[in-house]
Amino acid sequence: MQTLDFQEMEKIERSTYRKRTFFRWLLFLVLGLFAFYYLAPLYVMIVTSLKTMEEIRQGNLMSLPGNIIFDSWKTAWSGRGGIDAGNVFLRPFFWNSIKMVVPAVMISTFFGALNGYALTKWRFRGDNVVFLMFLFGCFIPYQAILLPMARTLGVLGISNSITGLVVVHSIYGLSFTTLFFRNYYVSIPDEMIKAARIDGASFFKIFFKVLLPISAPIIVVTVIWQFTNIWNDFLFGSSFSFGEAAPIQVALNNMVLTSTSVKEYNVDMAAAFIAGIPTLLVYVLAGKYFIRGLTAGSVKG
Amino acid sequence: MATLKVNNLTKNFGKTQVLKQINLEVSDGEFIVLLGPSGCGKSTLLNIIAGLESVDEGEIMIDEYVVNRVEPKDRNIAMVFQSYALYPAMTVRDNVIFGLKQRKVSKEHIEKSLNHFSKMLQIDQLLDRKPAQLSGGQRQRVAMGRALVREPQIFLFDEPLSNLDAKLRVEMRHEINKLHEKLGTTMIYVTHDQVEAMSLATRIAVMNEGIIQQIGTPQEIYDKPNSVFVADFIGSPAINLIHGTFSTDQSSPCFIPEQQKENVKINLNDYSFNSEPKEGQKIIFGFRPEHISLRDASLKSQLPVDLKPTLIELTGYEKEVSFEFYGNEITGRLPRHMDTELGSPISLSLDLSEISIFDCESTLRI
Repeated sequence: MQTLDFQEMEKIERSTYRKRTFFRWLLFLVLGLFAFYYLAPLYVMIVTSLKTMEEIRQGNLMSLPGNIIFDSWKTAWSGRGGIDAGNVFLRPFFWNSIKMVVPAVMISTFFGALNGYALTKWRFRGDNVVFLMFLFGCFIPYQAILLPMARTLGVLGISNSITGLVVVHSIYGLSFTTLFFRNYYVSIPDEMIKAARIDGASFFKIFFKVLLPISAPIIVVTVIWQFTNIWNDFLFGSSFSFGEAAPIQVALNNMVLTSTSVKEYNVDMAAAFIAGIPTLLVYVLAGKYFIRGLTAGSVKG
Repeated sequence: MATLKVNNLTKNFGKTQVLKQINLEVSDGEFIVLLGPSGCGKSTLLNIIAGLESVDEGEIMIDEYVVNRVEPKDRNIAMVFQSYALYPAMTVRDNVIFGLKQRKVSKEHIEKSLNHFSKMLQIDQLLDRKPAQLSGGQRQRVAMGRALVREPQIFLFDEPLSNLDAKLRVEMRHEINKLHEKLGTTMIYVTHDQVEAMSLATRIAVMNEGIIQQIGTPQEIYDKPNSVFVADFIGSPAINLIHGTFSTDQSSPCFIPEQQKENVKINLNDYSFNSEPKEGQKIIFGFRPEHISLRDASLKSQLPVDLKPTLIELTGYEKEVSFEFYGNEITGRLPRHMDTELGSPISLSLDLSEISIFDCESTLRI
């Protein structure tokens, strides 16, 4: 056996330490670059929305505004006042979107949970085929269902209405919500359901009293997913609604594209930001649960 | 209080038949243990009795009523599961009284039963906790409490002790035993642990590959196993099984072990055959490790043997010793104070009144 050479050991220790610090700094540098790359557009948006048109015309994208002015935000939200045919502003459409998103998210989440429960805990002949069909629904491109859906909405008499959009998003979202809940409920032991059946609880009683109270993580995931998708949807909104019944993304598009006079970049930026605020809020408030729920579904125990 | 009858029960999962023509009769107040290796169908049988699985063929009768199409909640049974299956979102109190609430039992009665049984199971201090805040043993008690408050006709246990550590398992086993003593309710208990089976059951049903191999009291099952499977499954260390042939020597039946150089014949005069085998028939000679003992001249029907230990294992209160026995390795249980040394022969004797003999082909007792 070799005796330990303390001087040698010290040297090795020092060089390991130096190496470690170097790589630590390299790591932070790379991370910093990525952060800059992703945050730059957001920065430009906010800065531009707070500038006057004068400042914007000087052409320096990254410079800070001279005076912070919220006029463009006001214009984007509630217009300039005055009756002007081309004057689109976001306020009414923002509420349209809320009226569309809230029921659509609630309906699709609730039925997704119910489907997931039935598919995992009340197995029936052909349940796997049913699940496969749901899964298939996740892969149908939006564009493919535009025409049949338009026809359906027409027949139902709810085309160009918020109700119509709620129906479209609820049905389209069902595939995803079912998938989420199924994968979550698969990891919950069947014995719990058996015990409840012997205790005398009915199908719905078990769902509401036993299963839903422990579904919080996956409910959060589903709500975030559905909220983001439905809020940000442009295709369904622009296809199945126009004028006053349009959701905010469609209004934003109209606002930015139909300006007859000079392009007001500051107002456009403010409007884009307003349209993105709700999803940002949802992520900030529930993001912690999002990660937890995503992993909870996949890992058992 | 109830009797249970299973008539010609068959169950298929897809193309595999998991239960084949099961017949079982349980009289009032009995403690029946379904014992078998994993995959033998014992849990499926229990689930069918509970009504959680459907019946393909045959009948389940509780108190002379066919309950094939009766919902689990209407069979007046309670079940305790291996994973406890407590409702995580509810407190212990709500867990225990959930079943009573579903049955619209009066508040006073619920309160009374809850008090009575939570004291009995020593969970009255835990009533306001959630299952996640309990230890394994406490969860098991709550699960039992949930079954007890319902005061069912039949208790079903699905490997309730398998998730507990060894010490707790023994404790809970005692409690289940006392519980049965106290309540006198019919109980059906599934396990793969033979010690649990032997110590709890009034009768054991040993199952394998969807068939009940043998039903009997623990003593019968242990002393007179009716097949090689049952003999081998029950008992630890396992029964010694030696292959050989049957022969009649001067009009007395005897067993000739295979693979031996000495031309030994073991006299089977004291064994009562169900049906005497033919000359030259292949048979299996079985005896339990404890039936090898120190030579004692006062006992009748002994086979004196001199055996060399090949492996000695001290288990605490005794020694498990492996020997070479006419070309086979066998195990014996000897007192721990006895001097044993590897390779040096000991004078022992084999108790011939306790042996079992099986047919080699059918593996059944003869």
